[in-house]
Amino acid sequence: MGEILVLVEHRNGALRDITHEMLNKADALSRARSHTVTAVVIGGKELSFLDHVTERADEVLLFEDDRLSHFSADLSADILAGLIEERRPFLTLMAHSSWGMNLAPALAVKIGYPLATDAVDILVDQDRPMVIRQVYSGKMFCRVSFQESQGYLITVRSGVFPPHRAGERRGDLIRRDMPAGIPESRTQFVEFVDTAAGEVDIAQAQLLVSVGRGIGEEENVPVMQELADLMGGVLSCSRPVVDKNWLPKFRQVGTSGKSVKPKVYLAFGISGAFQHVAGISGAGTVIAVNKDRKAPIFRAADYGVVDDLFNVAAALKEKLKH
Amino acid sequence: MSIMHPALDSYFGVPGYVFAWLLCVSSVSLFSYIISRRIGPLRMSQRDPRFSQLGERLWGLLLFGIFQKRQPRYPAAGIIHIMIFSGFVVLGLRSIELVAQSLNLPVLDPLMRGPFGAYYGGVKDFFELIVLAACIWAILRRAVVKPERYAGSHASEAYLVLSLIASLMITDILYEGTVVLLKESAPGWLPGAGLAAFMLHASGPSALQTISQTSYWLHLVIFFSFLNVLPLSKHFHIITALPNVFFRKLTKGSIKPASWGVEDLEDLESIGVGKIEDFTWKHTLDFYTCTECGRCSDNCPAYAVGRPLSPKMMTIKLRDQIYGAFPLFKSGKTISQGEDQPLVGTIIGKEEIWSCTTCGACEEECPVFIEYIDKIIDMRRHLIETAESPKTFNQVLMQFEKTGNPFGKPAAKRANWLNETDAGPVKVLQEGDEVDVLYFVDSYGSYDPKVQEIAAAIAKGLQLAGVDFGILGPLERDSGHQVRRMGEEGLFQLLVEENMETLKSIRFKKIITTDPHAFNTLKKDYPTAFQVSHYAPFVQSLMENGRLKPVRKLDREEVYTYHDPCYLGRHNGVYDPPRMILRSLPGVNLVEMARSRDRSFCCGGGDVILWHEIEQENMRMAEKRIQMAREAGAQVIVTACPFCLIHFEDAIKTMGLEQEIRVVDLMVLTLSTL
Amino acid sequence: MDIVVCVKRVPLTQEVDLEITPEGREIKKDSLVYVMNDWDNYAVEEAVLLQEKFGGSVTAVTIGDEEDEEVLRRALAMGADRAIRIEPGERQLDSFVVSRILAQVIREIPHDIVLTGVQADDDNCGMVGIMLAEHLHLAHAAVVTGMEPENGEAEIKMELEGGIDEISRIKLPAVLSIQTGINEPRYVSIMGIRKARKKELKVVDLGDLNIPEEDLAPRTVVEEFFLPPETAGAEFIEGDATFVAEKILEIIKEKGGTG
Repeated sequence: MGEILVLVEHRNGALRDITHEMLNKADALSRARSHTVTAVVIGGKELSFLDHVTERADEVLLFEDDRLSHFSADLSADILAGLIEERRPFLTLMAHSSWGMNLAPALAVKIGYPLATDAVDILVDQDRPMVIRQVYSGKMFCRVSFQESQGYLITVRSGVFPPHRAGERRGDLIRRDMPAGIPESRTQFVEFVDTAAGEVDIAQAQLLVSVGRGIGEEENVPVMQELADLMGGVLSCSRPVVDKNWLPKFRQVGTSGKSVKPKVYLAFGISGAFQHVAGISGAGTVIAVNKDRKAPIFRAADYGVVDDLFNVAAALKEKLKH
Repeated sequence: MSIMHPALDSYFGVPGYVFAWLLCVSSVSLFSYIISRRIGPLRMSQRDPRFSQLGERLWGLLLFGIFQKRQPRYPAAGIIHIMIFSGFVVLGLRSIELVAQSLNLPVLDPLMRGPFGAYYGGVKDFFELIVLAACIWAILRRAVVKPERYAGSHASEAYLVLSLIASLMITDILYEGTVVLLKESAPGWLPGAGLAAFMLHASGPSALQTISQTSYWLHLVIFFSFLNVLPLSKHFHIITALPNVFFRKLTKGSIKPASWGVEDLEDLESIGVGKIEDFTWKHTLDFYTCTECGRCSDNCPAYAVGRPLSPKMMTIKLRDQIYGAFPLFKSGKTISQGEDQPLVGTIIGKEEIWSCTTCGACEEECPVFIEYIDKIIDMRRHLIETAESPKTFNQVLMQFEKTGNPFGKPAAKRANWLNETDAGPVKVLQEGDEVDVLYFVDSYGSYDPKVQEIAAAIAKGLQLAGVDFGILGPLERDSGHQVRRMGEEGLFQLLVEENMETLKSIRFKKIITTDPHAFNTLKKDYPTAFQVSHYAPFVQSLMENGRLKPVRKLDREEVYTYHDPCYLGRHNGVYDPPRMILRSLPGVNLVEMARSRDRSFCCGGGDVILWHEIEQENMRMAEKRIQMAREAGAQVIVTACPFCLIHFEDAIKTMGLEQEIRVVDLMVLTLSTL
Repeated sequence: MDIVVCVKRVPLTQEVDLEITPEGREIKKDSLVYVMNDWDNYAVEEAVLLQEKFGGSVTAVTIGDEEDEEVLRRALAMGADRAIRIEPGERQLDSFVVSRILAQVIREIPHDIVLTGVQADDDNCGMVGIMLAEHLHLAHAAVVTGMEPENGEAEIKMELEGGIDEISRIKLPAVLSIQTGINEPRYVSIMGIRKARKKELKVVDLGDLNIPEEDLAPRTVVEEFFLPPETAGAEFIEGDATFVAEKILEIIKEKGGTG
């Protein structure tokens, strides 16, 4: 019997997808080893998602306080440290998000538990968890084990575990008070800023919808921009598109443009000239769509589609709009 | 009737020669002072060894300086200048005669009274008319034809000097003419004086006397004024051009070291040119010598496509900077503004510096042998050291350093192209090996798929000819041509060191390269004298010896033209071997573009453009060159340089001309006929 | 303002085919070339920019052997004033141990701001910076893309998912892990790096730091490496546009391309 603690990640009153994924994984792990799943919700006001959480955990601990209206790594670490000392959970799962990266390592040192980050899988072998994670920028996997401890901390990568699982548990919602004497947070929230608007840096994007000469004419650029927006990605392109002044220089990918390292790179109508491909060597997954089966881009891509790029783009938009 | 020589005549009781002495002494003193101020910056500049190979230098002085070999590249201006220059040479003696007489030290009189004098008199007169005609022609050309390349030059100076020269001719002609009339004799044939005499023959003796004396003194005043106008204007070249030609750079295509005479870069406080004194004395002399003729900018491909580089304007700006930093009438030396403000970023723009493709067209045209490439590279060196270079260079230079190629691909895979193409069996050399020909593939040939095809074609050609050759494979590092010309001198030295170590460990007779850049740098920038050749002359010699026989006819009936790559043609004089190869291919129909051989138009270059684009340009150089090929009626443009190939292919695609024209590499084409 | 920046020397792996050693617990490193960790490059640049603006000093620190001094020299060439290399000997290191060692050294030197990169190009853990903060009991923030120090505090920008940035105020002294793109790291030429030899580079032996043995035991161990499944060129997705679109969206989700 043990407990799996899952720190719910939420922003602006909404659950982030990673939370569903963690709860799903916790559920799978718990079934194998009869652990209980406890969700921890720290802060926020008027949380509409609580039902969703209670349907997926055996217990939900809610810490509500004015001081917790915005995420604070300091306060979260103190709360979790207290909770972990109290309950000694076997595993504590947190998101490998910016917030998670700020929280988990501090928590690990604070309570003296070992931590492994950015897990793409979690296994348990004879009462000891193991984490599968990627190294060398995704070129290699490794299996990591922990020093023996009362409990283990793991941050989980987004989009790895499947999210949707019908809620079957019926957890109680328990309101908890903040521990007494907690020091003030050393960080004060000021505001959120939406950077998607305005000039963009394609080198920082996680998803790129990239177009080449294959789009035919300047009039087709907005069509592809729309696709990029729907996908939550950024529009980029190859050299000829910039040469023709269909798109500005800062969107150019390649040796005389930018090197990009998105998790996913979609190449539409790009032939795959060497100078372009050199700019995407750091990309995680490359999906290429081109009419020509022999186009060199297919040698550099992970997935290929031989079709008119507009057919595929239209179909993608259809799916995304629903 | 005897007339008094003006120098011996009295004016207000003072003999003429006194005035002449006053004029002469004050003028010469002023001139000496100005020259001493002009010497100041030369002494502040860096060292530059230009006294080697005196024979070659003297020959160059004769050919280019005295015989003005480069002038006729622009026919009209060339003829005008030759007329004026030859006039100056011939009339030098006349000037000495006039000045000597004015000072009442008529040392040349014995010579001039003899048969030589009679002969010379006619010649000098004739030349005075020539010079006068040339000046008038020049003035009209400026005012009416208005050649574009003069835009930005100091027009008023030009008109002033042309007028002064014309006046010198006119005053002497008038003087001689009046003397002829007054003496009522015409010793020998004097066309100029004769003409003046004819025009003035109706004037009375006192009028003639006045005209005579006025012309005489006017001539002297103009002469001595002109002397001082020289170092203050672009006509300083009259004094500095011949020395500048004498001291010219003898090794085309090479780049000067960071500092002459300093082996170890670490001993230098700073590298490159940050302020005006960082140039060498020859470069400073270059600034003095610029005549603002504009031939450099007229041939500069960067200028032609709207980039912010005009070689002429760069020189003019730097000259103004020097003159401004060392003003004539302040004592001592004024510290140039370069202390706090670097040269590049203020008077010279950064994009101006990066616009240059080092094609050498400017240096090829300049009649007074002004150098540009070394100066620009020196300024780039400073930008690199002060982290002011384009950020896109950072990754590339790091990759050059760590992996020996600009792509960041592992050095261990440098010979993988042998498997990825149909190159046939190729020996990969190890240390201690011995081979006839070392084929230096360089980075693009090793890693870029398009260029790998060329390397494979070369390999196959060599195999067909039975040549004993090998490649270095993983032992080879980039030749460093681009790195040096981007200004990263330290990294270049590192690459040279690494390559030299490998090359020293292998015995070979000669090196051939895939591309002209590697050829140029191995030959000119590396510290040893290998026998290096680009593949074209080598292949041509194989054909000549019958070891390669082009037998198969070329596929289609097309019109071919050959583009001279800058680093094969202009910088290294290899124009004919590629053409000889082409003409020997069965079924070839070869035409020449209007701009070919040493006037070839750069494709865009094999360095900076690959990693940094100049926003301001209105067209790609390659696109302009493709237009030229089409104007010549060509359907195929043949290149002997992989960078030219890459740029032309891109241009053809962008221009949508895939159906009208294609580009092919010389070796790939040749192989198809073997 | 005294700034400390932690740097790491990592192999350049982007174009390389990585191989695993026969024992399976390491990658073959003999033909690899090494560079400064990309994130650390940005951190050093940020440190130098702060020093240029506010005065003070920048100290670069690394844990490693003599070959690792290369990245310290690079930091010095970029503008750091001094560097410290901690020689770990034959120790097994993990993020916890590294952060513990760094803390021991940094504790003894003036530090208003401590910068690290978000993660390292080799292990991609992203833990050292924040663990270090906790060892030092300092305020901390991760994935920082902007900072303006002022009067004992700094206004910082943190990059969150989905294109959102979070602006906060953090108390100094603090530890910040720096994200790529925060600035444009300056180029340092070969000569620049050679000249940096004149600057101070101190070597400290781990043994002399008096860290208790239990604090030097790694908390995590890599049991084995394995390669991702083979792909020979692109895997073609066949079918009509609708099917293809569905598959593409699945792949994107799986590979984390969404925010």
